Amino acid sequence: MELRTQDWKVLRAVRELGGRCLLRDVVDSSGLAHAAVARSVLALEEAGLLKVEERRRVDARLTEEGASYAADGLPERRLLDAVLRLGGEADLEAAAEEAGLSGDLLSIAVGWARRKGWAAVSEGRIRASTTRPPPRDEDEQLLRMLAGGGTVEVGTLEPSLREAAKRLERRGLLELEERTLRVLEITQAGLEALEAGPPKAEEITQLTPELIVSGAWRGVKLRKFDVKAPVPVVYPGRLHPVQQIINWIREIFLEMGFTEIRGPIVELAFWNFDALFQPQDHPAREMQDTFYLLEPNRGVLPREELVDAVAKTHENGWKTGSRGWGYRWSREEASKLVLRTHTTAVTIRYLSEHKEPPVWVFSVDRVYRNEKVDYKHLAEFHQIEGIIMDKGVTLRDLMGILTEFYRKMGLERVQFWPSYFPYTEPSMQSTVYVPELKAWVELCGMGLFRPEVLAPMGVKYPVLAWGGGLERLVMIKLGVDDIRELYRNRLSWIRRAPTCL
Amino acid sequence: MPVITLYRDRFNQYLGKELTTEEIAKWLPWLGTDIEDVGPDYVKVEYNPNRLDFSSHAGLARALKGLLGIEVGMPKYEARPSGIVLNIDPSVEKVRPYALAGVVRGLKLDDELVRELMDMQEDLHWGVCRDRRKAAIGLHNLDVLEPPFTYTTVGPETRFVPLDETREMSMVEILQEHKKGRAYAHLLSHTDRYPVMVDAKGRIFTFPPIINSELTRVTAETRNLFIDITGPSMDAVRNGLNILASALADMGGKLETVEVRYPDKTLISPDLTPQEMTLRTEYARELLGLELTDEDVVECLRKSRLDAWVKSEGVIGVRIPAYRIDILHEVDLVEEVALGYGFYRITPTRPVSTTSGRQHPTIKTMNCVRIIMVGLGFTEAVNFILTNEDVHYRMMRLPAGDAIRLANPASALYSITRTLLLPGLMQNLAVNRHESYPQRLFEVSDVVVRRDDAETRTERRVHVAAVSAHARANYTEIRSYLDALLRSLGLAEWSVSEATHPSFLEGRTAKIRINGEEVAVVGEIHPEVSNNFGLETPVAAFELDLEAVMKYISKD
Repeated sequence: MELRTQDWKVLRAVRELGGRCLLRDVVDSSGLAHAAVARSVLALEEAGLLKVEERRRVDARLTEEGASYAADGLPERRLLDAVLRLGGEADLEAAAEEAGLSGDLLSIAVGWARRKGWAAVSEGRIRASTTRPPPRDEDEQLLRMLAGGGTVEVGTLEPSLREAAKRLERRGLLELEERTLRVLEITQAGLEALEAGPPKAEEITQLTPELIVSGAWRGVKLRKFDVKAPVPVVYPGRLHPVQQIINWIREIFLEMGFTEIRGPIVELAFWNFDALFQPQDHPAREMQDTFYLLEPNRGVLPREELVDAVAKTHENGWKTGSRGWGYRWSREEASKLVLRTHTTAVTIRYLSEHKEPPVWVFSVDRVYRNEKVDYKHLAEFHQIEGIIMDKGVTLRDLMGILTEFYRKMGLERVQFWPSYFPYTEPSMQSTVYVPELKAWVELCGMGLFRPEVLAPMGVKYPVLAWGGGLERLVMIKLGVDDIRELYRNRLSWIRRAPTCL
Repeated sequence: MPVITLYRDRFNQYLGKELTTEEIAKWLPWLGTDIEDVGPDYVKVEYNPNRLDFSSHAGLARALKGLLGIEVGMPKYEARPSGIVLNIDPSVEKVRPYALAGVVRGLKLDDELVRELMDMQEDLHWGVCRDRRKAAIGLHNLDVLEPPFTYTTVGPETRFVPLDETREMSMVEILQEHKKGRAYAHLLSHTDRYPVMVDAKGRIFTFPPIINSELTRVTAETRNLFIDITGPSMDAVRNGLNILASALADMGGKLETVEVRYPDKTLISPDLTPQEMTLRTEYARELLGLELTDEDVVECLRKSRLDAWVKSEGVIGVRIPAYRIDILHEVDLVEEVALGYGFYRITPTRPVSTTSGRQHPTIKTMNCVRIIMVGLGFTEAVNFILTNEDVHYRMMRLPAGDAIRLANPASALYSITRTLLLPGLMQNLAVNRHESYPQRLFEVSDVVVRRDDAETRTERRVHVAAVSAHARANYTEIRSYLDALLRSLGLAEWSVSEATHPSFLEGRTAKIRINGEEVAVVGEIHPEVSNNFGLETPVAAFELDLEAVMKYISKD
């Protein structure tokens, strides 16, 4: 064994304490920290320089009640003194009053005075059995010994005092504490190691700027670390896992040539619904599905020409060639403010101002549904949306774009099905095979914007649109079953989620 | 979305072909439905709300026959006059103005089919009739009634025995005590005269949109049906009747018409006259990207159960059955072409992008902030914009402010939209109070504030907030981080001044200004705020209005 300076100091302390002592005593005499001494003792024992014995000992210490008796005297003693003061015999009541005892304490005092043969009680009178106070008994000696908060090792007491300790513990005046002590004894090899003198170079654990600058590092001994020992855990700052996936999807769009768009979260019903040809009595517009605003609750409709075209398209199809929905369109309803239910509201706003092809745009942003939150549903979540407006783009192109979009996400197998959305025609749903789940999962819905949507905006070219929920993808990617977990921001979850997706 | 359970044997009977449940489940999605479940002898099918004609075995079989080529073109429905008259009393005009009717004879009902009729009626009530607001449907055993019938109104004390009851009840009793009465009473809150239909003997057989009479209950023994449909929307009344009548005809019933006499006109009902439209072949080719001839288009449309013929070169005439209430525009016919062609046969093509991608400048800046904050050792939190006044104001020791309030939140947890990010981060610290410290969190995200001159009366603004929570967290530490953020964003100058803020400790709080504009607050969180969130550790925090700072950051 390579003796460290500290180990050598411990060994020396043991010898100075007579070659056999308690670990505690080494701590006290050496001035080293308890943990440091304990570590050295382990090393020294392993090297055969010290013998370590474990000894159990029981210490006694007064309880709060015991401490008060140590100061005022045991109740039985106080009772006896009172009776003696009253002439050796008295009414019990008078004696109690003289002694300042009552209730439970009085019963205790009477009980122990009789048991100790100090007094007898009959017919309400108490009589002392001696005329002079008896000397301190063992109980009182022990109390006195411990008064002031000290402890005593029960095993070192005389047998009669040991009995007293048991008695006082039963009376709740004493508590016993069992402890394990380590007794150290220096061995022959230990003595020889001490003779060899302290380790030559001063051993250090931390290289310091001073050591480097002064060159003193040459003369010191750097303690060898156990390089296999576990080290404390540290956590890096990091992005939120959902944000990482948002950025990943954004990168895919950007690589494919799409420009990112962003729009209001509080939206006019006009842009959220009417401009997308959703009739004003459509179930999705009802209060149980859409968040409406209380205050402010009405916004400003866009330019009259546009509003009028949308109104007429709803009522009779305007010049779109549609039959329309055949009802009376209300400006009031359209000017209500809602929390947008989809990012398509942003898309249609954008298209109303960008009518020249090509338009390739996307967004990944927050949307709202007035739903009760549970493990599958949130009231606030994210939608992924992509849009292409270009000359001559077709339904087959939409399939092609989606196939590429999914492939970039690592999803190779895609199927397209006919479906329905109020503002697209034809409409499709796509399912993708997710290897992690070994299952087909519905991801994005898509379609071509209806002429009833495009004509009032003045858009003359076909528009391919697709969208889907982000959270579903996140849950698959991160293996989360409860959607609410994504936004609880529990550090234990965020720290565990993979950083490199 | 509505769901129908298709029983294999019954479905195959209508289809005229023996398919297994697996085969049914394989084919139906190509009509635009979703398969919910496949059982030993049934398939559960979810269909879209535009195709309420899929609400019966007969309706789905009708469509699949076309796709499989078993029967193509438009199904024809004939309806002879029944001789029955339904008189419309002028008094209904202010109560529930429109009514139509129809007769179906010779139906072979059984318990299964009666249940299907009830389910179908429910789906129509939901889809076409908007939960009976726009229309309501009743089916009756015709044989117990004596025509002619009258649609009229009665007073609140008029009595009859409603369905599922054994005693006569007054109109008011029905509205107050009957299950259906209570559910739909609000649809009659505008009137104290109540709509009913009565037969020649004056017997009430329906009280729309609430309940039918026990008298005309439809059972497995019923052979001849009278259909009534009433409501404030003539479109919904007509659409509901057309879908129901077509399905009943497909189930083997013989349709007959009813003369519906309004004060100013007489309608023959149901009127299943098909709608006629034209489709340009070029339009279909353009949208679908398929090389289709006129003949191809005709074939596809016929497989979608429409009549189609080449009207002139490049122009297809199309006849659409009355139950297809979803076809509004030529573009809807393009989808019918795609459905008839078979989506499973359409292969993807890749359009060539001539654009280059560009990030939104705001989001680009937000990502810059993320890089800086993570570099400073902070972990990102993402919280909802939706919150409530308790967390946002009271727990932060703030007086109630002017956050946007929602009119109809489903949960008390979400009653406003946030104007600050810090309350969310404090909640995050509360959630993590048993995790190891130090904890340093940030969020860069949107808040919503009022702006009276904006068209939405509001504005979304990006803020950045950060909290540092540990035993030695203090003003100096968090100011260092805020300074580092501002410096890293490229800002050169800002001023710091002592400030008071209810959420922060007096003497340990500062406001940051740029060009005199207040952009951030920074300091030590008030211990009362920490207590409100159940935190025992000191917290230092800042919140920066990033939107206000962006104009000083170099543009891309």
